[in-house]
Amino acid sequence: MKPIIEIKNVKYQYPGADKPVLNHVSLSVDKGDFVAILGGNGSGKSTLCKLINGLIPHYYVGDYSGEVLVKGMAAEKHKVAELSRHVGYVYQDFENQIVSPKVIEDAEFAPLHYGLADYHERAVHALDVVGLIDQQHKFIWQLSGGQKHLLALASILSLNPDIIIMDEPVAQLDPQHAREIYDILKKLNDEGKTIIVIEHHTEFVAAYARNVILMDQGDVLFKKPVKEALNEVDVLLEHQIYPPQVTQAAAKIGTSGILPITIGEAIPLMASIVECEQNTVHKLRTEDKPLVTFEDVTFSYKTITRERDQVLHDVNLTIHQGDYIALVGNNGAGKSSLMRLITGLVKQEKGQIALDGKDVRKTPPEHLAEIVTYIHQNPEHMFIDDCVKKDIGFYMKARKDPRTEEKVANLLKQFELTDLAERDSRLLSGGQQRRASLAVGVGMQPKLMLLDEPTANLDIATRKHITRILEELKTQLQAVVIATHDMQLACEFANRIIVMHEGRIIHDGTKASVFTNHNLLKKAGLNPPQIFTLAKKLGWERPVYTVDDFIELYQSKEAWDGVHA
Amino acid sequence: MEYTRKFTEKLSVEQVKIELLNTAYGNGGTFFAKLDPRTLFLWYAYFGIFPWFIHEVMVLIGMFLFMLVTTYVARISPLIIFILCLGLLGQGGYLLIASLFFGGDWTSILPLLILTLKLSVISLASITVFCSMNPEKLSNGLLKIGLPGQISFSIAYGYRMLPTLLEEYHHVFQSFRLRGKAPEKHGFLYINTIAYFIKLAVLSFYPLLLSTAKRARTTVEALETKGSMYGFNHIEVKKLKLAGLKMKKRDYYFLAGSLVYMISLFLFL
Repeated sequence: MKPIIEIKNVKYQYPGADKPVLNHVSLSVDKGDFVAILGGNGSGKSTLCKLINGLIPHYYVGDYSGEVLVKGMAAEKHKVAELSRHVGYVYQDFENQIVSPKVIEDAEFAPLHYGLADYHERAVHALDVVGLIDQQHKFIWQLSGGQKHLLALASILSLNPDIIIMDEPVAQLDPQHAREIYDILKKLNDEGKTIIVIEHHTEFVAAYARNVILMDQGDVLFKKPVKEALNEVDVLLEHQIYPPQVTQAAAKIGTSGILPITIGEAIPLMASIVECEQNTVHKLRTEDKPLVTFEDVTFSYKTITRERDQVLHDVNLTIHQGDYIALVGNNGAGKSSLMRLITGLVKQEKGQIALDGKDVRKTPPEHLAEIVTYIHQNPEHMFIDDCVKKDIGFYMKARKDPRTEEKVANLLKQFELTDLAERDSRLLSGGQQRRASLAVGVGMQPKLMLLDEPTANLDIATRKHITRILEELKTQLQAVVIATHDMQLACEFANRIIVMHEGRIIHDGTKASVFTNHNLLKKAGLNPPQIFTLAKKLGWERPVYTVDDFIELYQSKEAWDGVHA
Repeated sequence: MEYTRKFTEKLSVEQVKIELLNTAYGNGGTFFAKLDPRTLFLWYAYFGIFPWFIHEVMVLIGMFLFMLVTTYVARISPLIIFILCLGLLGQGGYLLIASLFFGGDWTSILPLLILTLKLSVISLASITVFCSMNPEKLSNGLLKIGLPGQISFSIAYGYRMLPTLLEEYHHVFQSFRLRGKAPEKHGFLYINTIAYFIKLAVLSFYPLLLSTAKRARTTVEALETKGSMYGFNHIEVKKLKLAGLKMKKRDYYFLAGSLVYMISLFLFL
């Protein structure tokens, strides 16, 4: 097939940077391909994509050499506006690319400004493709995060571009919505569009992409068909990319030949084991003293149309010392509201909430903050001073703690922020920001810590790092609640899992009770870790939550089977 | 204490956001909202300026009554009316005190009342017109009367960002509350607490400025890729955009009616 994008020997250096972000990159993408770009933070993935619609070199000045051809047009000789009619780009911070107050207006914006008379029909069609047609007269601020993402996609589809680039399509979505957006991309791909995604989740890559590009430090290491690419387990791990769990497991077991990349492929290869070890029962080690109690709590807030939107219905909940809770459920299930009620920043409509014996409704949030800390999903909301060090020390300084300096130094060390102490927190990378926000939280020496999506928007390596830090925090805190879509984190961290659905707690148990309950998973839209599903499909009775568990069990089974064979 | 709590619950950032957005977008069904923006501009050009040159008290009162009717028809949000009254009373009161202080006497009340009347007419005309046009209509109207595309876009974009900015401000403000230390005692007439909150309200703007600067980069790039520069510089795009704007019978009746009313005011009073 004819290449639709050709990148020849491109080198680019941002103004003021001390080394190039792209080193002599050469690459071609065929028309109708579905390409996933893998690479750690700072490997040049986003920069590469900005070459394709001409933002580099037209918009960013800097050292640029080489040639980029898009549909045969030299990017350097055509304006961004011309190239953009062929290349649609959905940013990682897609909210900022929505420029109009109403859904339909935003979808119309591009075709209207290019002077296309059928702009309205185009917008309606685009909204129809992404499934937002019923929302067309809504305002932007009435949409959920997932819907905004779909709108950002619709607003570029209205120009009918041949190439669609999406930067981390699923970073902020729950698994159900994530699949939805990939299904839309697949449909577009089937219609002949060329799709390029930047993606950390290799399970999606395995399920949807046709080719994979691996980047590292400004170099393209390889471009291969997806199966071959994900089989390069060692190369990927070396660059901190984690292949799908089934692939990792197969590699560790030493499966011969080509490694499987999806569950469907894995089952025939691993189906030889039938027996199972004795099931061990997990016991909750909760102590008796309740830290938080909810009694028949309902909560609603006023919407723009002055109607009240009921977010929580009759919630009853007790959190004890020693509880490490994962709060799971779809976007909009009420997880954040539940946590914010504990901080006292919002007040319940009915019912009682007590925190460490205090009535939350009657105690000002400033006082509750000495017991409970809430870590925002967006770390930037927590940065109120002009450098990391001051941000961490803010709480202690306000209380005139004489040991502030010493404590801040210790926290900087614990969260590996010492070198960044003088930097503005807002200008750090995603993982660094997350660590800084955790340090701020721990610096308040709370008994209870509430974290909203602590691993969202992070590449997998950073995610593992944060998971490790959270594990260490258990010794410093009496209880932790994490709201998350990341089931691997939930499995590794929590000793109690609470499932929420449409403002109600529909299950309160452990990972065993949650992931073995098929109806529950379906209702709440949860996806167990891939390795769990694999073990189950293989007919293993004992649940497996991590690749290491899987390997351990697999080997003991093999030995056991060997003896009795 | 109970009342203060109820009051502060009503006065939340969330509530202000809802009121603002409703003022901007909530009046789609009223008579004024169906008029062409040019009609409203023309009408405002008279009622917003001419009261300064009219000295007949009775005519001013007549205009004032007319404005009361239009404000009622336009279904203006109570919050806006409240702020307006506060402003007018404050203005008049302060001028009265100033005049008394500098040797004036109670006879200065009458001219002050006339001034306040004029200001009321102008203010009510302004809110009738501007609360009846949603930002989109306002920006299209401005584009139609010849202002550059960038200005009309900025208005629509400003409104799109307003809720986001308010929300972000709210988050920063809450972070300050949670990490700072509220005064131990409320003080005389809550003076300590009020001072504490005012300080936080000001401090919260700085982080907001920084994060807004950061998000603006994506927006500017996105605008470029969405062809906005192309659109601002091509006349046919403007035509396409404004194809829906038309003066209808309703517009002419309204302008004629206002004219007849004004003429009869001058003739019969």
